[in-house]
Formats: sequence, C-alpha cells, structure tokens
Amino acid sequence: MAETQTQVSALDAVVKIRYLDDTNAVFSEQDGFLSLKTTQPNEEGADEEQTYERVFLHSAFPFDMPYSYISVLDKDQKEIGMIRELSALSEATQKILRGELGRKYYAPRIKKILSVKERYGFSYWRVDLENASDFSFTVQDTYRSMLKVDHEHVFIVDVDGNRFEIPSVEALDRASYKKIELYL
Amino acid sequence: MLQIDRMPDQLLSQLETRGITSDSILLCAKTDISPEHIYCDNWLIATKDDLIVVSGVKTLLPKNMTPAQRFLHPERLQCDFTEIGYQYYPIRTVSDLKVENLISDARLTARQKENEEDTGSFVLLSYLSGSAKNSAGLFVKYFNQIKEKGEVTPDDEDFNREIFCPKCGRRYPDPNRKICPHCMDKGKIIKRMGGFFLKYKASILTIFIIMVLSSILSVITPYFSNGFFYDQILSSTGAFFGNILLVLIIIIGTRIIGIIFSMITGTISAKITANVVYDLKKTIFSSIERLSLSFFTGRQTGGLMTQVNSDATSIYWFFVDGLQSFVINVMTIIVIVILMFVMNPLLAFLSLITLPLFVWGIKLIFAKLDKLHAKRYSSRRSMNAQLSDVLTGVRVVKAFSKEKAEISRFHAKSERVAYDDRSLSTFETWAFPSVDMLLYIGNIMVWAVGGWMCVKGDLTYGTLLTFVTYMNMVYGPMYFFVDMVNWGADCLNAVNRLLEIMDAVPEVVERADPIPLEQCEGRVTFRDVEFSYVKNRKVIDGVSFDIEAGHVIGIVGHTGAGKSTLANLLIRLYDVNKGEILIDGINVRDLSFADIRKNIAIVSQETYLFMGTILDNIRYARPDATYEEVLEASKIAGAHDFIMKLPDAYATQIGFGYRDLSGGERQRVSIARAILRNPKILILDEATAAMDTQTERQIQGALERLTKNRTTIMIAHRLSTLRSADKLIVIENGKMPEFGTHNELLAKKGIYYKLYKLQADALKNVGIEA
Repeated sequence: MAETQTQVSALDAVVKIRYLDDTNAVFSEQDGFLSLKTTQPNEEGADEEQTYERVFLHSAFPFDMPYSYISVLDKDQKEIGMIRELSALSEATQKILRGELGRKYYAPRIKKILSVKERYGFSYWRVDLENASDFSFTVQDTYRSMLKVDHEHVFIVDVDGNRFEIPSVEALDRASYKKIELYL
Repeated sequence: MLQIDRMPDQLLSQLETRGITSDSILLCAKTDISPEHIYCDNWLIATKDDLIVVSGVKTLLPKNMTPAQRFLHPERLQCDFTEIGYQYYPIRTVSDLKVENLISDARLTARQKENEEDTGSFVLLSYLSGSAKNSAGLFVKYFNQIKEKGEVTPDDEDFNREIFCPKCGRRYPDPNRKICPHCMDKGKIIKRMGGFFLKYKASILTIFIIMVLSSILSVITPYFSNGFFYDQILSSTGAFFGNILLVLIIIIGTRIIGIIFSMITGTISAKITANVVYDLKKTIFSSIERLSLSFFTGRQTGGLMTQVNSDATSIYWFFVDGLQSFVINVMTIIVIVILMFVMNPLLAFLSLITLPLFVWGIKLIFAKLDKLHAKRYSSRRSMNAQLSDVLTGVRVVKAFSKEKAEISRFHAKSERVAYDDRSLSTFETWAFPSVDMLLYIGNIMVWAVGGWMCVKGDLTYGTLLTFVTYMNMVYGPMYFFVDMVNWGADCLNAVNRLLEIMDAVPEVVERADPIPLEQCEGRVTFRDVEFSYVKNRKVIDGVSFDIEAGHVIGIVGHTGAGKSTLANLLIRLYDVNKGEILIDGINVRDLSFADIRKNIAIVSQETYLFMGTILDNIRYARPDATYEEVLEASKIAGAHDFIMKLPDAYATQIGFGYRDLSGGERQRVSIARAILRNPKILILDEATAAMDTQTERQIQGALERLTKNRTTIMIAHRLSTLRSADKLIVIENGKMPEFGTHNELLAKKGIYYKLYKLQADALKNVGIEA
C-alpha cells in the first residue's frame, strides 16, 4: 500500500506542476543571490522543510506575462515549482523576485539607430542605447536574428547572443525606423 | 448480357458456331495481354454454366481511322476476330477468381477443382495490363454473383465513371475533373479568367481609352519630328518656315502627354491586376483547404506550392506587362500600316516585304532559345539539387570522407552549367543581329527607292524620313509579338492549372444536415470496414471491432499493415469503401467534420509544428486555453521540463529558420497539443516512438491517468507501449485476425504470441527479462 502511495506521489511530481506561494515558500536574497525554503507534505503527510541555497528564476511566458508563471529552478536547473502570480506574494518577496527577474531578463534598450550596414551576410549596427551612445554590434543573418515578440516589440540578437530590445518600433524616430524596416 | 466491354459481333457469331448463343451469355469483359506478353484481346465470357476465355487478334477493317474516330464512330468499325486461343471451364469447378497485381501488369487467376475433395489446381485465365484492371475487377465481382445467384445485377456506380472525353475519345488526365486538355475551350478559360476582372469594368475601360489615345499619339509624333519638321519648318516653302520653337513645343508636349498616359494606365492596371491576383490566390487557397487529403497525397505538395505562387505571378505579369503592350502595339501597327499605304503604296510594299521573313527568323530564334534555356534550366536544377543534397547530408559525406568524390561530382555538374551558359550567350550574340540584317535590307530598299523618288520630286524628304521611322516602328515590336505567343500560352496554362485546383471536387464530403454530437461518450465501432487507397489493392479488409467508451485499445501489427489507416478512417480523412464506422452509434458520414475533430484528437508519427512560438503550437488545438492549462498539458506530456530549459521558454520561436526541436521533443509538444484539446477519443499513432523507453514509460504513466474516462486508441509496433491496453487488435495485411486481451491473445498462440515472443527474446538477448 505504502509503495503504491509513493508511486502515486512520484507520478504526481511528474504530472502535476507544483505552485509556490507565501504559504509554502520563503525566498530570501543575499548579495543578489536567491535562496529558498519550502515546506511540502511528505509521504507520511507531515510537513517537510527543504532549503535551497541557490535558486534560479525562469519565466514561462517572458514576453506575454513576465511576472506570472515563473519557474523556480534549483542549482541543477531542475524545477522546484512555479510561481503563479508574482503580485500575489508579499511585498518583500515581490521586491526580491522582481530584482532577480530584472537582472535575468535585462537587455539594453535601443533608443536610436545610427546606421545598419549589410556586408556578406552580416550586418553591422551602430546604435544609441539607453546606457551608452554610439554603441556597435554585429548581427548574423539579420532577418532571423530579429526576435519579434509582436509587430512592435523586437529583440535583436547579436553574434555573441546579446539581446538589444526595441520595446516599440513604431515609437522609434523615422530615420531609425527606416533602417530596420526591411527586417521586420 | 452485361457487357463490361463491348463484344465484337464477329466474335459473337464465332461463339455461336461453338454452341454458345448470345442469349446464354451473362457477362463478358476484355483483357489485353497474352501469356507471351503480346497485346491481344482476351474475352472473358460467363454463361450460367461455363466460363470461357477466348483469345484472339482483332483486325480493324477500315484501317486508316484515328483512335479518336474509332471512339466516336464505333458503328463504322468492323473487325475481323482471329481466334488464337480458347479455354473452357465448367463454372462449378472454378472459384476464387483473383486479379493479382504484378509490377506493371496483372493476371487473372482462379482455382479449379472437380469436386469438394479435390485439392484443386490454379489456372491462369489471362494476363492483363493496367488499363484492363478495372474491367477484370468488375468481371470478378459479377462472376461471383453468377456463381452465387446464377444472374447478374449491375451496379450503376461501377459504370458511370467516364474516363474518356466524349468529344475526342482521349483519356481525361484527372477523372474527377472532366476536362480534356485537347478539347479544352480556350475561350472559356479566358472568359472565366475575365470573371475575376469583371469587378473592375470602369478602370479597364479607362485604360482602354487611354491606350487608344497613346497609340494615336505615338503615330503622330514621328510626323511632327520628321515630315512636318523638314517639310514645313526647315524647307523655305513650308508654311511654318523657321518656326523651330513651335515644333519643339509640339514634340516635347506630345512626349509629355504620352508619358502621362502611360503612367496612368500603368498605375490603374497594376492596381487591378494585383487585386485580381490576390482574389485568385485567395480563392485557390480556400479551395485547397477544402479538398480532401487524397488530393494532396495524389500530387507533390511542392508542386502545389509552385502552382499557387508562380502561376498567379505569371498571370500577373502577363496582364500587367504583356497584354497592355500587346494591345498598344497592335493598334499602333495597324494605324501605321494603313498610313504608310496611304502615303506611298510602293514604298509601303517595299518596306513590308521582308517582314514575313523577319518574323519567321525570330520564330526560329525563339524556338532555339527555348531549347537552350530549357537545357540550362535542367542543368542548373541538377546542380542545385546536388549542392543542397550534399550540404544537407554533409555529416554523412564527412563521416565517409567522400569530400573529394563530391567535389568532382560537383565539378562535372557545374561544368555543364557553364557550357550551357556559354552556348546560350553565344547564340544570342549572333542570332539577333543576323535577323536584324533583314530589317536593314528593307531599310536600304526604302532609302534607295525613296531617295530616288525624292530626287525626282515625287516625294518630299520629310515624308521619306517619316516613312523610315514608321517602318522601324512596325519591325520593332515583332520580337515582342513572337514572344507574346509563348507568353500567352504560359499564362493560359497557368490559369488552367489554377482552375484545376478550383474545380477539384473533395472526395470526402460533409453531409448537408449533419447529426449533432453534443455529449460524446467515446464508443467506437468498426463494422466490416473495407478500404483501399488504390483500386483493387485493399489496405483494410473486413475489419470489425467494438471499443467501449473509456477503454484503452492497442492496435498491433507490422509496419505497413494498415494500422494508421484505421486512425485516418476514424477521423474521416478518407471514406471507407465498404462497411461503416460509428462513433456513439452514429455513422461518421452523418457527423459534421467539426464534431468529429472536436471529439477526437490524434497524435501521429509525423508531428508537424507550425512556424511560431511553442505556446502558439500547443494552443493550436484550442486557442482559448489559458496559460495555466497550457502548462498543465505540457507537464503531462513531459514537455514542460525541456521547454523551460529554453531561454525564451514557451515564447521560443520554432519552425523554419528558427530553433529546431528534436524528434522526441516535437512528439511531446504535439502530445501536449492533443491533451489540451481534451478530446473524448484520443488516438496515439506511434506517438512515443521517437522517445527512449524511460521517457516513454513516464509519459505513458501520465497518460494513463489522463486516459480515464477517455477512449484511447494506441497504435504501436513496440509491444511494451501497449502494456496498459484493455484490449488489443492485431492487424495483418489489412485483416484483423486477432482481437482480445493480452492474456487471451497469448493463450491463442497466434500472431500476437509470436510478436510478443520475438520482442521478449530480443530483450532477453541483451539481458532484460520482459
């Protein structure tokens, strides 16, 4: 009997998504590193505490809903559980998690495109970023390196995998827009 | 007498000498190959008591009739039937008539035995080619009727398939669409094409008027710049002597007006044609989506894509570019030729005398050019094919260190391309100037005679100049006209191909008033189902079974046994030939497509993911699903974990040009898609075949919980996949020899037992006890 019980809960772990919230998880942060303490009923039904020294966050729908359905992963990148809604958590936890997500998903925004030159399958970009002016990077296979979230929101991925965000191509100035129109 | 093929009278009278009267014959059909593989006529004849095969050679008496005439006027035909063979069997001794397919031909065989105890022997009744398979198949069908009931009752459906054009007797390329390319009414096609343009009547009229005006303009311009200029302005006797500014204004003015005209027509016609092509593509695409699956398996999808795209484009260019210039040029030339004859008949005659030769020359050039282009096209295509072949298979090339061999293979192909390129350009450089020589000859004649006339004072210098200009205006567009013929033919073909798609009739048709299936329970019944993709080759043969609601059924069988076909029939991608398939006791033919596909989800061996994000792909089955439902479905399908390892998780772009998922990952995504659909009947067609056994077990465990209250049909050749099935169906060669639970089938020691032993032994060999 006990064995089948274990089997069922083992299967549960495979089939069901475990959701974390304030009742069963406590997040804390130290120097930008996130750690987690969870409680979970074990096989006998008693609460069992588990501590993870280091956890990572990964958003399931990073563009559609960046603050919902966030996967919490352990150091082996195995999922511990998911956070359904960030805003449902306590203010303090929210602040910690938002900070971590912000670090994870940070991509510099492009304010202005100075020039795009296409040469032999590569394109060479000069842009003004929010944190740097006249910044240059190189993109291979430009069309496919434009990560189009929707018809406005675009990420440009350069040869090194760096992402540069354009939250709204429509909001760019005319001259900048004309330079990337071809790739949209 | 049921004549599957029409029997010649000559044969009838010959049979009568053997005591077989035409009244006693119940059935006859014709096959066409002798055992020595020579074409001849074998007449299969059945009476109440006998089966006779008469072989012979038919000699047509009016020898010089074309096949088409023969078809149209069979009464004119008289034939002499020379008998070369005669087989006779009492009907009670023959049974099991069968059309056995060979690679190209077929043969009609039977079993003959004198009485019940006799083991019997096989007899070959006749060989036949593919063209006679239909007749032979029908003969077998009605022969069995005679054996059973002693009479034939013809089934109309067997005979209403017209496969020949009634007008010319040629075969239809597509029997579903009765259009004979030979008798095809080109006017009708153009008329149908015109239907698409009809919406834009007003604009077309405008274009036409402007075209007329601009051709008038192009005719008068040379008059002002030549005749008028020399005779009226430069010559001291002219009415406007010295008034150069006037002529300049006129020349520049007409030019500007001409340009404006062509701009207007260009703009309007580009707009119309683009709209028409858009309409066309839209109509065609919706026709394609409407068609049954068999339409697509019947032809290459690549071909279809080209059809829609390139055909629409070639129609576009023909109407935008071709037709317009054609109309303008024709009008201009007519006006010019008339003018030339009015101005000076002799000169006009001289200048046009080389025209036929010129046109003929261009025709030759274009014919040769076509050949060269086709040659170059084929060598290029073969080079490109090889290139893409090697580049896609580069891993294999490297693994077998075949780089050198591939390089030399590529060299050979590329050399051929270079050669073809060279011969094409060489030809072009000398061919066109040679034909242009003819034009110069005409020119020179006009100059010589005209010059002499000028000197004599019969002709003014201005008129001569105008004349020469006109002459060049007539010759100039000839290249275009000759090309236009080809162009028009291409366009016509394109239109025809597109119409072909639009006219294709879907084979699986939804009933007009389908029975609604509101609360589906999930009972599935197959009753004596027979099905074949190709005639006379049954893929499913008399399969019957019942699946109770909520049960899990496994279908086992060898590859190609017909397992997936059962699934295709259930979701009605094809219609059964015989028998019926019921869902909750209702024939699938009576259900709406929407209801069938709402309640049945299928995960097949070929998983197709569309371009877009993983989220879009999973939600394809149910666009209104919430994010959480997507997550849950993916988790059950075992897809969640690998998706979360991707940087953009569910927002990862997949499909052409983006990240490619592995076979197992794709299967998991498509299982998630099916789970999200939450169907009453779930078909897993080798859905876990691309995964390792451990992952498969895991997903199966998950699915087992899901399959509660859900009819599940699992198709697999790996028996371990089917551990959880309540009952198993064994399919072999389209038949269903075994049906029962795992233990029942093992006890039976039949096919399933053998398969099970085989796979268990294989596992034992590597040290695993099953």
